[in-house]
Amino acid sequence: MPARVPFWNIEAAWLFYLLTALALAVFGLGLAINLARWRPGFTWGGFSAARLKATLADALLGRRIWRGDASAGLMHALILLGFLGLFLATCLVAIDHYLVSFLHGRLYLVTSALWEICGLVLMAGLVWALIRRYLQRVPRLERRPADALLPAWLLAIALSGFLVEAARIAASGAAWERWSFLGWGLSGLFAPASAVAAHAVLWWTHAALSLGLIAWLPFSRLFHALAAPVNLYFQQEPHPLADLSLAPDQVREFSHRHFLTLDACTRCGRCVEACPSARAGEPLAPRGFVRDARLYTRLKYNLLTKIPWFRRRLRQELTSRPTIDPEQAWYCTTCAACVEVCPVQASPIELIRQVRSALVEQGSTVPPLLAQSLERLAKYQNPWLAKKGQKAAWAKGLDLPDLAKGDPAELLYFVGCTTSLDTRAQGLARGLTAVLAHCGVAFGTLGKAEPCCGDIARRVGENGLFEEQREDLSGLLADIGVREVVTSSPHCHRTLSHDYALARTRDGVTGPMPFRARHYSQVLAELVEQGRLTFPTGLAVRATFHDPCYLARHSREVRAPRRVLAAIPGLELVEMADHGRNGLCCGGGGGRMWHELPGQGHLARARLEQAMATGAALVVTACPLCLIMLEDARKAGGFEDRLAVRDLNEVVCLALGLEGGANPF
Amino acid sequence: MEILVLAKQVPETAEADLEITRDGADLERDDLVYTINEWDNYAVEEAVRLKEAHGGAVTVLTLGDEESEDVLRRGLAMGCDQAIHLNDETFLGSDPATVVQAMVKALGGRRFDLILCGVQSADQGQGQTGVLLAQALDLPYASLAVGLKLVEGGLVVTRELEANTLEEVALPLPALVTVQSGINQPRYVSIMGIRKVRGMAIEAHDADGLDLAGQVGPAASCLAARRLALPETGAGAEILSGGLDAVCARAAGIIREKGGLK
Ligand code: SF4
Ligand code: SF4
Repeated sequence: MPARVPFWNIEAAWLFYLLTALALAVFGLGLAINLARWRPGFTWGGFSAARLKATLADALLGRRIWRGDASAGLMHALILLGFLGLFLATCLVAIDHYLVSFLHGRLYLVTSALWEICGLVLMAGLVWALIRRYLQRVPRLERRPADALLPAWLLAIALSGFLVEAARIAASGAAWERWSFLGWGLSGLFAPASAVAAHAVLWWTHAALSLGLIAWLPFSRLFHALAAPVNLYFQQEPHPLADLSLAPDQVREFSHRHFLTLDACTRCGRCVEACPSARAGEPLAPRGFVRDARLYTRLKYNLLTKIPWFRRRLRQELTSRPTIDPEQAWYCTTCAACVEVCPVQASPIELIRQVRSALVEQGSTVPPLLAQSLERLAKYQNPWLAKKGQKAAWAKGLDLPDLAKGDPAELLYFVGCTTSLDTRAQGLARGLTAVLAHCGVAFGTLGKAEPCCGDIARRVGENGLFEEQREDLSGLLADIGVREVVTSSPHCHRTLSHDYALARTRDGVTGPMPFRARHYSQVLAELVEQGRLTFPTGLAVRATFHDPCYLARHSREVRAPRRVLAAIPGLELVEMADHGRNGLCCGGGGGRMWHELPGQGHLARARLEQAMATGAALVVTACPLCLIMLEDARKAGGFEDRLAVRDLNEVVCLALGLEGGANPF
Repeated sequence: MEILVLAKQVPETAEADLEITRDGADLERDDLVYTINEWDNYAVEEAVRLKEAHGGAVTVLTLGDEESEDVLRRGLAMGCDQAIHLNDETFLGSDPATVVQAMVKALGGRRFDLILCGVQSADQGQGQTGVLLAQALDLPYASLAVGLKLVEGGLVVTRELEANTLEEVALPLPALVTVQSGINQPRYVSIMGIRKVRGMAIEAHDADGLDLAGQVGPAASCLAARRLALPETGAGAEILSGGLDAVCARAAGIIREKGGLK
């Protein structure tokens, strides 16, 4: 009867068991080394079926891998399918051999054929991967020796497997072995006389390669097969805020969430292609940062440091190898493009934030201009001016109700530092004020008492300052009893809605947020939908919309501003190559507006070039930082006669013919 | 190496819109923000760097009211080990000689290998405290340091002189050095950094305890401010308009008229 004969033609089975034990021991050690890094502070956070479902969709179907690169999706699907199939086959064989015998007869034949297919699928995926990397030379892929080793190794395992089978069939082939069609086909390679000897050699080669891979797995990039699904599961929870009540010796350099990111990374390079800083030729590339941090933490937080001999060796490695370069962290605009495209949801941005926090606490490498801005923020509640009381100057003569002085208003307009103080960005504030008044929306501001919401401190990693500002503003809003907030800036919006909520979670405050914060584009879109904002005349112009990162990616809002633009008759909206959640950052976020870095690139210029390519005459945006960055690039980059840059409010005012907020082009 | 560094709290005035009080004796201080004197900040950073490189301890000292404790906390957060607060409102408005007298009494014969302070303060700008303290303690001193190197048997100080000249002088220790701005890049002091040193003890002295009651403050000062005034605003600027060539020609003409171009 057709069935598998275990250890056919293999004499020293004990040697195989010994090697297996060895391989498993090394695998176990590697696993322990990696998991030990995850363990401190690890919180499970409760089981969630929804999260598990999303994890499985990403891990098994490779949802995020297909996105934007179907060829990569196919490659991964083939390898994963083949690999899982063969893994399952090995498990079934083991069960059949050691526990209950069930693989015989027809069942055995069908499964044999299926395994052949799995092997073929695996090999096709591997060959496809090698073609992509070495023939197609997909730019984002690296071509270091180790990059060829892993697929070549897997390929060697698959090939040697088929050859073992072929030799066995050549030596003993019964007609039913036809079901193992590939082995059957290849069996012609072996003369029946030498097949037995060849089989033994091939069998041991196959075994050694397979066991070697098991031992190497936790140390190789293949470890993502274990780490990525775990990361995908946990990334669905936002990273918690730093707990500032911890004593200095309890503060960890990195949390388990950071380690998961490091171990999940497959070095696919999608983040490098998406990163505005890397694209502009700056020293930061998220993949490199993750790689350096992984090496650094694997050396520093290695389980083996418990053994003196290893400790000495690892310390030595740590000082002699170039690892993490913290200075690179300042280049990040916190645009989250890297997180958006990462197939395993690694979060370079959180890693960078953590490194920044450490640099801020240490103090001596904070770029001087940034240090100055932070000091201003602490003393004057804004990063721009070393004086107080200028925040309301833009609204002189507008007579807006001042909630801080007790004037009543349903809606608080939180203007924000940059919108209040920068002459260009003030256009946004005047525009929004005019539009809200036009629509009959009653609102007030905090006048000159408006503090900073803490966005800059939070992005830069000045955790103490963020907490201070958050407490101040939350206290003020609670005293006034504010329930509805509209912000100029997507940054303030994100901070008030997301980061303030994180603080409540951390501090164990239950119940809903006391206020709802919205970005102004959301309020305008609502007014359009309610029929309160209509455009009788319109504006004939071809425009393109620059998505602010904090609106489109962090807050997932791409629809609202487009809804408003679509309501303007005559305005033709064209999209840039990178738009929506894949928008390209202007370079103003993450504190970069307030410092200068050696070798910094022209991030906003790259964006305007994309805008030019659409044939639009007008770039619309919805963030004071984007407005300033794009406007500066327009002037400095020679786009002056070809493009206009406007805030969404200014465009609305123009279309409505409203004085005050209109800024014609 | 034991280092003492002097730090003063001053109002930040560089970008503020200053107003003089009605009686003309002082600035309107309500809207002003207080901070460490810029030059002293460089001195504290230099002291902490010397300690980090060569070991020892840094003591930071200030004289002022209750509020000026912030300067000490900031110094501790930067890496100073101890703090001395000459804490008495009546000290405010003392002349430099009195300030130095109070310091000498508070130090009570403690010896330091090196004393650092800023060249001058941003508010009074007299530039005397450092050199007077050196005099009182009978220490060699160097002023206007833009570089400081510890060498066998002493200190090599690079001094900034007029017209971009630098002078290198050698001093034996103990010594006092007044520090010019730009000698280093002072580190950023985070909010958490300051919070962490909140509980550290600060040695405090008041005028009474130093036997100086009645001998300090404006009344005992050898100087009396008669009137503070903001500089007169000029008659106004002439804004040149027109093409680039015309503007340049006109500007050159004005400079020539005023004798700036021969
Ligand atoms: S961080 Fe993500 S996107 Fe970047 S290389 Fe790693 S796996 Fe790819
Ligand atoms: S957040 Fe943006 S700038 Fe920062 S590493 Fe990621 S892609 Fe680059």
